[in-house]
Amino acid sequence: MLFVPVYIIFIPIFTALVIYLFKNRYINYLALLAQAAITVLLVLYHYTYKGNYGDTLFWFGDWQTIGISLVNDEISESFLFLSVFSWWMVLIYTFEKGKTDHNFLFFLMFLQGVFLGLLQSNDLFNMFVFMELTTIIVTILIAYKKAGDSFRAGIYYLLLNTSGVLMFLIGIILLYNTFGTINVEQIGSLIHLYGEETVIRFSYVLMMGGIAVKSALFPVFTWLPRAHGVAASAISALLSGLVVKGGLYLFIRINGMYAGAAIDYTEFFYWVGAITAVVGVMFALSQKDIKQVLAYHTISQIGIVMMGLSSLHDTAMFYGGFLHIFNHALFKSLLFLGAGIIIKAYKTKKVGEIRGVMRAMPVVSVFMIIGMLSITGAPFFFWFISKSIIKYGIMDSGIKYWILFVVNIGTATSFIKLSQIFFGQKRMTIRLKRLPQRITLMTLAFACVALGNFYIQIGEGFFGLPLQEVTVADWAALFDYALALSIGLAFYKLVIEPDYKPVRYIRNFQMSFETANYLFVVFLVVMTVYFVVL
Amino acid sequence: MDPLLTFIVILVGMYGLSTSKNIIKSVFSVTIMESGVILLFLNLGNLEGGSIPIITQASEIIADPLPQALMITTIVIGSTVTALALMLCIKVFHHYGTVEWREILRRGGGK
Repeated sequence: MLFVPVYIIFIPIFTALVIYLFKNRYINYLALLAQAAITVLLVLYHYTYKGNYGDTLFWFGDWQTIGISLVNDEISESFLFLSVFSWWMVLIYTFEKGKTDHNFLFFLMFLQGVFLGLLQSNDLFNMFVFMELTTIIVTILIAYKKAGDSFRAGIYYLLLNTSGVLMFLIGIILLYNTFGTINVEQIGSLIHLYGEETVIRFSYVLMMGGIAVKSALFPVFTWLPRAHGVAASAISALLSGLVVKGGLYLFIRINGMYAGAAIDYTEFFYWVGAITAVVGVMFALSQKDIKQVLAYHTISQIGIVMMGLSSLHDTAMFYGGFLHIFNHALFKSLLFLGAGIIIKAYKTKKVGEIRGVMRAMPVVSVFMIIGMLSITGAPFFFWFISKSIIKYGIMDSGIKYWILFVVNIGTATSFIKLSQIFFGQKRMTIRLKRLPQRITLMTLAFACVALGNFYIQIGEGFFGLPLQEVTVADWAALFDYALALSIGLAFYKLVIEPDYKPVRYIRNFQMSFETANYLFVVFLVVMTVYFVVL
Repeated sequence: MDPLLTFIVILVGMYGLSTSKNIIKSVFSVTIMESGVILLFLNLGNLEGGSIPIITQASEIIADPLPQALMITTIVIGSTVTALALMLCIKVFHHYGTVEWREILRRGGGK
């Protein structure tokens, strides 16, 4: 059982290679088989080590204390389950009998192995290697459609993320120079010795800079809407739902490592998250392209997750953000995959041109509505619960509370706009009835509803969290939701639908690559001033 | 060489990234930055008067082998990134007829 972390990294990679070698009609099933094998191994692993994660430390090649190692805890294991689930969804969604396009499957399976490696790594340099490999493979997947805009988005993504990851590498080098090791646990146990040193603070700044680029925080988020807006829908779902969370996962891990240095990051990252959330919603409101709207909402939701995660490790608010990662993965995948079906049927991405989906595709519409209710935070859906937890953490501070409320209003407005596609007359569409796609949507919608209604059992079973105090019958929260919806409706009718000049201006706003990089440097300087100088 | 001097190489790369308006120049800037990082780490692992890290006698003074082992990986990854970026550059040129960042954003119409 100790070898399972290695198996779940290498089974997908070897499967990818075998698929690439034997390109025939039946080899596609091998991907499903490998996925099933990973799932079984992971479940067995979970039941073997449940409760005592100290035993999961695995050293490669018996080089005790100086070699490469993998380790798991509750957080990484829940991420592992989430990733394997997301890959199941994408594999089933894109599955076709006798498909001839094996290259796509090759990159998809390879990315899974690399991503699972990133989650389990106990070694800073391995984290760097896996981050960089993820960047490269994701670039290829973004550019996979071979259209002009996807190449443009691909190179933008590749260069910006590479410069971010190089900053992460400089941070690793500074740490190695101080401690003589790159093992996360060993550095974590030694870091209190030099916690006040400038070098350590500066390495923290550089690492957080790299993570900010990877997870699309405020000044460096411009790659995300391009990349997620132009990729194929299944890839968008995977990137938005899961891969961008790799950055947030590293945020948790690296801050855990720096815990001994007593760096006070709570206020700073709370405000970074809040600005990200507000800016993301602002851009999403102005967009007319259905996938751009969803991509900008990913940014705003990442901001909300950051608002929760910025709080310290053992507080309830941290778990609010942490649970929202899972929540967001489910409903954003659902929305992207559903949007993919609608875009294929209507042959357009413009929200204004798609009408009458409810009559043309009733089944898909129901699932899309479930996704929309989830993202706006309706009662009986999980975002209602995690939002309540985050709200509880910031109840004392007035302005922090109002920022969350403003983001809620923005989200409600934006999805009132998107929901217009359901109404209107039925149009001639291409009939596409594919069973695997429907199964995927149904599973995701079911998971959204199940998480929202059985949150007490799930919170206790997986994370050991007592969630009994959060109830749906919280009248203040219900009133908040109704208020956000009604303000959103008024805002949509008065401001967004007439399409005034500021809205058009925000829609046409574009950030060139060098400006984005300039902002990245500015962000690093600001962090240096905040964490090192002050 | 002072390790701090290698920070100048990294800063040159950062400067190039945040000012150059051409995709090819951006790719070069990333490469320069990467060279700076590699030089930095090799410098830190260097030992004045030490020999190569292949142990033949127990008493020999050797340089730290870990930076060299790690940096060879970084070089491999860096060359992959450069190759992929240049390939995408060619494709962008085929589709838009230019490799200027602002120009391809304008001609693409929107995001």
